[in-house]
Amino acid sequence: MNPFISIMLLSTLILSTMIVTISSHWLFAWIGLEMNMMAIIPIMMKKPTPRATEASTKYFLTQATASALLMLAIIINLMYSSQWTIMKLFNPTASILMTMALAIKLGLAPFHFWVPEVTQGIPLTTGLILLTWQKLAPISILYQISPSINLHLMVTMSFLSILIGGWGGLNQTQLRKIMAYSSIAHMGWMTTILLYNPSLTMLNLLIYIIMTFTMFTLLAQNSTTTTLLLSQTWNTMPIMTTFTMLTLLSMGGLPPLTGFMPKWMIIQELTKNESLLLPTLMAITALLNLYFYMRLAYSTALTLFPSTNNMKMKWQFYPTKQMTLLPTAIVLSTMLLPLTPMFFILL
Amino acid sequence: MLKFIIPTIMLMPLTWLSKNNFIWVNTTIHSLLISFTSLLLLNQFNDNSLNYSLTFFSDSLSAPLLMLTMWLLPLTLMASQSHLTKEPLTRKKLYITMLITLQTLLIMTFTATELIMFYITFESTLIPTLIIITRWGNQPERLNAGLYFLFYTLMGSLPLLVALTYLQNTLGSLNFLLLQYWAQPLPISWSNTLMWLAYMMAFLVKMPLYGLHLWLPKAHVEAPIAGSMVLAAVLLKLGGYGMLRITSILSPMTEHMAHPFLVLSLWGMIMTSSICLRQTDLKSLIAYSSVSHMALVITAALIQTPWSYMGATALMIAHGLTSSMLFCLANSNYERTHSRTMILARGLQIFLPLMTTWWLLACLANLALPPTINLIGELLVITSTFSWSNLTIILMAMNILITALYSLYMLITTQRGKHSHHINNLTPSFTREHTLMALHIIPLLLLSLNPKIILGFLY
Repeated sequence: MNPFISIMLLSTLILSTMIVTISSHWLFAWIGLEMNMMAIIPIMMKKPTPRATEASTKYFLTQATASALLMLAIIINLMYSSQWTIMKLFNPTASILMTMALAIKLGLAPFHFWVPEVTQGIPLTTGLILLTWQKLAPISILYQISPSINLHLMVTMSFLSILIGGWGGLNQTQLRKIMAYSSIAHMGWMTTILLYNPSLTMLNLLIYIIMTFTMFTLLAQNSTTTTLLLSQTWNTMPIMTTFTMLTLLSMGGLPPLTGFMPKWMIIQELTKNESLLLPTLMAITALLNLYFYMRLAYSTALTLFPSTNNMKMKWQFYPTKQMTLLPTAIVLSTMLLPLTPMFFILL
Repeated sequence: MLKFIIPTIMLMPLTWLSKNNFIWVNTTIHSLLISFTSLLLLNQFNDNSLNYSLTFFSDSLSAPLLMLTMWLLPLTLMASQSHLTKEPLTRKKLYITMLITLQTLLIMTFTATELIMFYITFESTLIPTLIIITRWGNQPERLNAGLYFLFYTLMGSLPLLVALTYLQNTLGSLNFLLLQYWAQPLPISWSNTLMWLAYMMAFLVKMPLYGLHLWLPKAHVEAPIAGSMVLAAVLLKLGGYGMLRITSILSPMTEHMAHPFLVLSLWGMIMTSSICLRQTDLKSLIAYSSVSHMALVITAALIQTPWSYMGATALMIAHGLTSSMLFCLANSNYERTHSRTMILARGLQIFLPLMTTWWLLACLANLALPPTINLIGELLVITSTFSWSNLTIILMAMNILITALYSLYMLITTQRGKHSHHINNLTPSFTREHTLMALHIIPLLLLSLNPKIILGFLY
């Protein structure tokens, strides 16, 4: 892409999220969300294939619907509170509408259908932006309206997301779809705790972004998009197999890796609020997620997949692709558990 | 406790930085030296525990298990030498690193004070074990075995996490030493029933209880020798250790809740012993024998009398050493014939007479011959279950009989009788293998001179 356009789009993308997070006027936040959507669509269309067009169209339609619903909720809130300040909402209808709008933006079940389709149609790095950066703006709004969100709606949507994120990913071999379902499940974990302790939502989001960034960067090293291609990493970069496996296990929430930390904190916070069945069910459903991560870990690191004869031992050249921040991200996504007390700064 | 943990962690740089032909020597010798330091823990007080810090403590229950764990690392390293000869150097070092990581985590599990720390390290032992089973196992079934192992254990232990956080919110602290005094009697109600199940299922799956034991034959059979040894000797005892610890805060609910699990264990012990008589796979036989012995430990832990606790602890240590030795013996057969089928290598006494001695001692220990500590454990458990209910003596007697039957069946099939024709050119036993067996059986026999140290905290 022409570097000028690229700079313009990326800066609009970053600026839009910043606008959403720092604004105190509902209209301004809505504008930020619209800018966000507008900026990412040309990035998704970098290679104008029909598949990318389909993904961008699906993304546009769902996000535009969500923005419209969001505007409706803002207006209803305006009617009942006569002010535009972003704080808790003053009307249950507005609250429910806004929660659903933001759920569509985030890809929470039952509005999750666009996430796998869109993630599959775009290149890996754009998928990374979609699944990490794009979550920041809606979650910041959810954080700010969290006192007025309907508990039943939120918990239903989040538990449904964890279920669907787990079950949906089971039959996939395309890595981008697997990461999309993983994103749905993690969003479910994040929004469960929103009403009890929103700082844990932020913690979970932070850890999720680090782990997803690691995962996508590892995938982008080999330009692998299917399980079959991933299984060939032992040939080209053997050390990546270890890191891929550790990151996958971390995303599955196994101690002593970092991914256990948000789950543990969320379970602790939920039990403090006297709900015991929900965290048990959530934890057990997260095992579905672990199953397809384990399948990927098996094909990557723990077995040597058969390969064609002329691929037997590739010359191991120095990697030419830039490994931006990969070592840092790997360390952060596997070894951060002993530093759990450090995250009290988020409170 | 750092005097054990830090040297064990430092075994990892030792592995990676040693010269090529010294990795096995260095790690074995140094882990042996570290295991000798654990003998310091024998100096246990009667009524309280050695509190090393806020995070680690050791009492008469965890000390023998810790000694067993630390003794087992040099043994696993010795046992793995042969099947890793053909691997590239980095993979050998990775394998040793997995064993060392597992060891560190096991030490931290057995000495953890805070129950969440216990939980985290308990779960963390899954990852190195999974990697050892799946990466270095030999048959394609190992993939399924790893998945079964991981998911059975995780399904059981996730409710434990929720229950532990609930306990922390209720009682204020999960420091085990405080919990013993703070714990209130648990009234009988539906929610307390679910909570009891949440606590116990993790350990029951790990032990394993008869209905949930499906992962064990798979994992034990598919694992390489070090994996089998560590699984059988130590990882099963994690479940037993957890049960013995957690039942002290769960009374009197346990008397009400324990009946189905007692029935399952008592019946399961007969079932799994009987199935041993029909096994063709040697490792599978030893795996089912482990289930049977552990069912006795579950029974003992659930009836909660002083004698049963002593029997459970003694049985755990005895079974750890015996079962690990049996796996080593089975592995020595496997390395020669590359098959686990029992009847393929029969009549070995003619060819490997000294190995027959070790087979004999291991099988005799397995069937709880006096005066081994296996007998002490079983006798204490049988007596205490008899006092709990007179009818159990029938099941226990049947179990002893069937255990004797399959142990002797295993011995006679492999050692006695006419040898199979193709084992004429068997490689003779290595000194390393003899050392391995000797190092297993000598602690077992010496402990029968002073079993007081393994009788746990109610002695």
